[in-house]
Amino acid sequence: MTAYIIRRLLLMIPTFIGILIINFAVLRLQGPTLVDQMQAGVGKGGGEGGPGERKAQGAAKDVENYIDRFRRSGLDLPALINLRGFTGRDEVVARLRDSAGDGPNRERPSTRNGIEKDLWLGGPQLVEPLLAVVADDGLATLHAPAALALSYCAYVTVTARDLARMPAQRLNQIQERNERLRNDRIRYTNTAQGFATVDPEATAKRADLLALFAVPGTHAEFTAARATRWSDSLVRTGFCDFMAKLFTAQLYSESRKDYVFSVIADRWYVTFWLNTISIVIAWAGSVLLGIRSARRSGSLEDRVTTSALFLAWSMPSMFFGTLLLYYFCTDTSGSKAWFPNRGLSSDDALWLPTGQYLLDLLWHAFLPLVVLSYNSFTALSRYMRANLLEQLDADYVRSARAKGCGDDAVVYRHAVGNSLITMITLAGGLLADLFSGALIVELIFSIPGLGWLMLDAAIQQDGPLLMGSTVITVSLLLVGILISDLLYAVVDPRIRGRYA
Amino acid sequence: MNGAKWSLLVLTAVLLVYMAVDRWRQPQQLEKVSESIDRLNRALEDLERTNKDLAEQIARKPAFVPTPPPTVGTAPQTGATSATPVADGKERDGNPKLGVNFLIPYDRSYYHPEWQGGTLKLFYDTPRRLNPLTDNSSVSHAVYEVATDGLCDRPVTHPEQWSESLATQVIISDDYKTYTFVLRRGVKWQRPKIAKQPAFAWLDRDVELTADDFKFAIDLTLDPAVDCPSLRNYYEDIDHAEVVDPYTFRMVWKKKTFNSLSASLGLSPIPRHIYGCAADGSPIAKEKLGVTFNQHWFDELRGVAGVGAYMLDEYVPDKVLRLRRNPDYWGVPYHFDTIEWNLEVKNDDAQLIAFKNGQVHYHGLTPLKYKSEVLDHHEARFAALDQADPKAGRKGELAWERSRRMAFSYLGWNIRNPLFADKRVRKAMSHAFPKDRIISEVFFGLGLPVLTDVAPGSQYENTDLKPYAFDLERAKALLAEAGWKDSDGDGTLDKVVDGNKKDFRFTMIYGAHVAELDSMLLIYKNELRKIGVDMQLKTVEFKEMMRVYEDHDFEALVGSWQTDWDVDYFQLWHSSQAEQQGGSNHCGFINPRVDELAVKLRETFETPARIAIVKELQAIIHEEQPYTFFRSSEGILIWQNRGKAAKEQYLDGVDESLDRLNPLIKTSLRRMYWHFRP
Repeated sequence: MTAYIIRRLLLMIPTFIGILIINFAVLRLQGPTLVDQMQAGVGKGGGEGGPGERKAQGAAKDVENYIDRFRRSGLDLPALINLRGFTGRDEVVARLRDSAGDGPNRERPSTRNGIEKDLWLGGPQLVEPLLAVVADDGLATLHAPAALALSYCAYVTVTARDLARMPAQRLNQIQERNERLRNDRIRYTNTAQGFATVDPEATAKRADLLALFAVPGTHAEFTAARATRWSDSLVRTGFCDFMAKLFTAQLYSESRKDYVFSVIADRWYVTFWLNTISIVIAWAGSVLLGIRSARRSGSLEDRVTTSALFLAWSMPSMFFGTLLLYYFCTDTSGSKAWFPNRGLSSDDALWLPTGQYLLDLLWHAFLPLVVLSYNSFTALSRYMRANLLEQLDADYVRSARAKGCGDDAVVYRHAVGNSLITMITLAGGLLADLFSGALIVELIFSIPGLGWLMLDAAIQQDGPLLMGSTVITVSLLLVGILISDLLYAVVDPRIRGRYA
Repeated sequence: MNGAKWSLLVLTAVLLVYMAVDRWRQPQQLEKVSESIDRLNRALEDLERTNKDLAEQIARKPAFVPTPPPTVGTAPQTGATSATPVADGKERDGNPKLGVNFLIPYDRSYYHPEWQGGTLKLFYDTPRRLNPLTDNSSVSHAVYEVATDGLCDRPVTHPEQWSESLATQVIISDDYKTYTFVLRRGVKWQRPKIAKQPAFAWLDRDVELTADDFKFAIDLTLDPAVDCPSLRNYYEDIDHAEVVDPYTFRMVWKKKTFNSLSASLGLSPIPRHIYGCAADGSPIAKEKLGVTFNQHWFDELRGVAGVGAYMLDEYVPDKVLRLRRNPDYWGVPYHFDTIEWNLEVKNDDAQLIAFKNGQVHYHGLTPLKYKSEVLDHHEARFAALDQADPKAGRKGELAWERSRRMAFSYLGWNIRNPLFADKRVRKAMSHAFPKDRIISEVFFGLGLPVLTDVAPGSQYENTDLKPYAFDLERAKALLAEAGWKDSDGDGTLDKVVDGNKKDFRFTMIYGAHVAELDSMLLIYKNELRKIGVDMQLKTVEFKEMMRVYEDHDFEALVGSWQTDWDVDYFQLWHSSQAEQQGGSNHCGFINPRVDELAVKLRETFETPARIAIVKELQAIIHEEQPYTFFRSSEGILIWQNRGKAAKEQYLDGVDESLDRLNPLIKTSLRRMYWHFRP
């Protein structure tokens, strides 16, 4: 049995990592780009904007702040494979040309913008090829955009944690260099005629930029950061950064300006308990219902239950929940509502005696539990019914009956146990389903849990928070599967036998 | 197993759960008790301080006298003594002028001590860290709106002008490039709640607001390490800020630009004694300030410090944010003792139901909810619509009334596209747009039809403009003039362009998930069909819409803009913004006269001259019709009006605020007129 458990536990590790990799990659495909973030700053001004309303204000010019945010959340690194260390001068030249107004993307400013901003996020790994472009006298037209990209790539982000251990001298050095990079930007336009420098001090700025990197220490610093080994291309990626932060509990949510796990810590248990209880209800309820239906198979009651369950099943929980909210939780001019409309306990619940508190909890949780579990009811109870019917036709049941067992004994002692095997498999997967349901229930009944935290994170495009919540749900899912595997062994003697 | 065994088992389980829960709750209860004791203590302290102040006031006389509304120059100078004599009189009309103090005196008329009390409850939905600069979420704006004040203020009756606030005097000199503020004396920073903890005892003292705190705000905003890129934009033209003496603050701008006015006058201070210090009270070195500010210990403790009417009492993200009255407030407070934001309820339906159940005091309705709740009268407690009486909604047990917002929507025509290059075509499109019908049928009468981007009723509105009335014949004639005729009799207009026959067919792009837009465009499509124009419809998500704007990849689109009290034509209409990456002139409108006027407007400060320029600009844009202007936004404000139960539940003064204040100011500013029914 121990071997069985260990085997299950070991299997969980690759599953866990696999799920995270897939989630991470999918998230990154959709994830925020520098362009999005800068537009979001312009587009949706704070306050009471309606759908799609934009506020007219200039685009932010201080890209460093956005780069800081990206670096803090590891979004500046490529998701799974980082080939920046191998990017040569020619490739950079090609990308700069692609972003030119007279280049191949003449008609698509957004594409040009994307290429340009992507280059800005390149970080220290792109410093060397960019510097080569700036230093090359033959590429005069590209000097200005390359110098701009260079100033962003060579820019060093200092975080609050760095401050604590950084000597003052080093901090000053970094700040001076950042400032100098900022001043050395060559102003230029990018129109249908291509790049054109409009800065009278262009030559001096370029010379200063080259002088800055000619300092031996500086150059060595960026060469070291270039990371040209193949192993680096796997290690210096967004995913590895995420995993490292995950295990050191350093995941930081930019939208909430807080560490992800401290955000989640306040909320996960609400979702966890709601889901666990609703699984128990759904599972136990449908087993009992399934047994009853199977024993009365074909009767009027069976047919009515089946139709009613399918009717419920076809009703989306968003709609059903709202319906319940409108009809059972709303005061009218004449009457008080039957159930509370929000939260899991009353405002003054803390001062109620414990017994009353539990009743209050039950009163609040009743409708959310109904909405969470009614959907799984149908499928589960029908499975149970079908399984049991199958078992009741089996030879061993006939033998039991022939032996003279009573009907109850036949069903409960012999048939039910065997039909539960499938039910246990289903229960493991139920947990995952429930999380998507929890999102809706938590939103409608205003329960501050993990569900709408994830929804909010998705709306805010907050990758770390979304991934942090995913880690929790994935862990719960895996635990659910583990439990169902264990129960499997309990119910099915064949499995026990194999590992005995 | 028999029945007795089972029931014993169940009983034990219940008992265990009961004991576990009981144990689990005890520390929470204890914590709550100590919190309540803290709160009581603070209230006692406040009371003591208020009593002391009152005693001082009585000793000094004259006592507090409510002053009439801000008619020019009549209200007494309050609080401060200004160093230079000020010419009281006609200059103080709130319109910027050189060399004199033009600020309207501080208005104390709306406050009635006898109405004070109660807890105002409302919804807010974005839980965030609260930082005065780096957090530009709406909840943070809303908190600082009541927790702190600016140098000057926009009076709620005429928000296009400026009044005193933390500054009692401003002198603009040097061709509108230098602003010198004289600050109000005796304004104290709020003592944050954490000051009661032994570790933060160094905060438990009175700190007076001085010019340093404003200089600190400017320094932080300009510090490149501080994460406030969009805010910094407003200050990019500033030359320097200086502290002349503790009560005199000066801002010097590099060039004469109208943006400098609200950026200077609207500046809020940042407490140097908190944000300039580490958690142990030692000052932070200048070079570390920017980085530290982004993740400041005070934000991590969820602190807020301002000089405003309310101070933060409790903030539990996603649960509640409670503000309580600042006992040391220098100005006139709102009437509520506490303002409590419910951060739990996010869903629209759930919010409406919580309002109906009396859990919040006011809320808003979307057009569709307005239709079902009020027009179809699904909620009996709302008064039904009465065409004869626009204020009928105030009579219900739950009251409703329209409230306007500073935003307008439009149909934009891409002038770069040959189809819409001819202004006669654009005019025809406007003539074919049944604006009034759509407002009444699709938006259920919400929203005012607009002719330009200036809000109706504003001092800048050009009332001489004639609307493009809905007239299909006129539209047809204009299209014919522009060469569009149905030569092949297929029902769609066509024209020979460069030797090719081209049908009048285009795609209208609009944002997805707005049901009203779907209906509106279907009506328009049908009207256009009648004059032989074929409009296709296409919805896109927000992200794609951003790309469409950026690439100018559209023929026509539905858009909307939020507007501001500072009228500016450069951003939307200057030709440079049509070319620039991500510029806001996405329709490609180019007009030399508009360019010239837009630049001139940015350099003009005197209100009459500005009005003249804006009116001319409106006339040109109205004639050119790059947009078919549609409607200014309007929503429905609902509030707890009257009932039989606890009287504190019911708000008073809401209708008065609607009648007396500028219709375009935010609801959050109207609250100064509100109070609970005595």
